[in-house]
Amino acid sequence: MIGLVEVATALLVGTWTGPLVVLLVVLASAAGAQVLRGVGLVLLTMVPFLASIVVINTFLFPGASDAIGRIGPLTPTWSGLSFALQISVRLLAFSLALSLVFLTTPVDDLLTELERRGLGRRGVFVLGAGLRTIPRMAERTREIADAQRARGLDTEGRPWRRVRGLLPLVAPLVFGALTEVEEHTLALEARAFSAPVRRTPLRTLPDRPGERLLRWGLTATLVAVLVGLAVAKVPVP
Amino acid sequence: MIELSTEGLVHVYREGSVRAVDEVDLHIKAGERVALIGQNGSGKSTLVRHFNGLLRPTDGRVVVEGADAAGLAVAQLARRVGLVFQDPDRQIFAGSVRAEVEFGPRNLGMTVADRRAAVDDALSAVGLAGDTDTNPYDLGYSRRKLLALASVLAMRTPVLVLDEPTTGQDLRGVELVQRVIEEAHSAGRTVLAISHDMRFVAETFDRVIVMRTGRVVLDGTPADVFAERSWPALRSTFLEPPLAASVGARLGLGSTPTDGAFVSALRRVDGPAPDA
Ligand SMILES: Nc1ncnc2c1ncn2[C@@H]1O[C@H](COP(=O)(O)OP(=O)(O)OP(=O)(O)O)[C@@H](O)[C@H]1O
Ligand SMILES: [Mg+2]
Repeated sequence: MIGLVEVATALLVGTWTGPLVVLLVVLASAAGAQVLRGVGLVLLTMVPFLASIVVINTFLFPGASDAIGRIGPLTPTWSGLSFALQISVRLLAFSLALSLVFLTTPVDDLLTELERRGLGRRGVFVLGAGLRTIPRMAERTREIADAQRARGLDTEGRPWRRVRGLLPLVAPLVFGALTEVEEHTLALEARAFSAPVRRTPLRTLPDRPGERLLRWGLTATLVAVLVGLAVAKVPVP
Repeated sequence: MIELSTEGLVHVYREGSVRAVDEVDLHIKAGERVALIGQNGSGKSTLVRHFNGLLRPTDGRVVVEGADAAGLAVAQLARRVGLVFQDPDRQIFAGSVRAEVEFGPRNLGMTVADRRAAVDDALSAVGLAGDTDTNPYDLGYSRRKLLALASVLAMRTPVLVLDEPTTGQDLRGVELVQRVIEEAHSAGRTVLAISHDMRFVAETFDRVIVMRTGRVVLDGTPADVFAERSWPALRSTFLEPPLAASVGARLGLGSTPTDGAFVSALRRVDGPAPDA
């Protein structure tokens, strides 16, 4: 829940201070929930991505004239660099917050609770199928990459070679995901998934008063942030 | 000449602390036909992935054709060791059967003429010569699996590693796989296959290696490994000798009896069969 608020905030709050604050809160809550390691891992996988954002914007920011210096034919600019860093911080805040949600909330808990609160079972299915696919996709991607590397695909060479090597990785992934969803759906129908009866949850989650209070408090914060942004256009720090 | 070997090979996956491969010493000679068997999770796939560098040892050494694999990139090892994965759908990407099979040879930089010959040979070996322009996804599962096999065969590597080549194959498919192994063997290639199909193993290989929880527990000819004295070790990794071996042993025919030996043994027991 804290994570959700942060995700929304990270997306909406512009400039510098907002995302930085969010980032600090994310790290603090990750430490609190003892999932720093997992968040660190996400951070690590984002490094190459962020690095490319910084490089591209610093050197190729359109219309910028405040040059830092010259490196051969290239002119890095301050406005490019600052824009890149801003974007990076926002992306970081957003994705770390999102990963916090998944690191702290078991998918099954989330779904059981949503269904109990009246989200239709189709909604639960779609959401659940989506969420549960993530780790399976990761495993599948690794295996596909292994199979293609065993056939001599170069995944470490020059960038243009890697771009050409994308199809052999993406095509089996997409095709596999499609057939999987189809089979999943058939298997569910075979087990009377859409039978028009009300179902009994097999387990209910404990809901402590403290948690409840916190949740409402956070929801209120979220709403406040959204309303504040949308209606009043308050200049957020 | 030793083609593949491991010395004290240990592999521990980062996620989790089990030793998926635990102190394995293995020497496979050029031209050998070796089957690797053992219960689910015994470390077979983990072991073979070291031979082309997809996994690197946590401890110990892997030697391919005399060279330490640690000094070779996957792309280099792919020239020596062709690995066919279990699930064809995790590799097939091309719009036609020919393009799919050409992928490996092209990556290895074969000349156009070599490539054409390699692709044609591989496709006819698996019985897909008439389907070069077919879309792979229009083939049934068993033929997609043969296509994956062909796509690695065409790389003409001296070593061929097959992860469960017969799952999902009917009798004809199993025979095709057997023929491919036979042809590779007569061309001097080394074949290492993982399998759960004991009959296929008993009929196709010169040597059988049995794994349990990351260790090698039996290593010998099919006759040794399926002999009665090995049954307790087989059971400990949830394997059973092929029916022919267990019945053959009880009839005193040894663990790799032929059909003819069975028939004459049964005649001795029952007297002449009515239609004889
Ligand atoms: N990517 C992975 N990450 C973590 N652990 C793994 C991974 N792959 C396999 N393992 C574990 O390593 C051990 C050996 O697995 P492996 O896949 O090598 O067994 P296998 O003999 O090939 O089994 P199967 O017959 O089911 O294919 C198992 O305990 C398995 O859970
Ligand atoms: Mg396996």
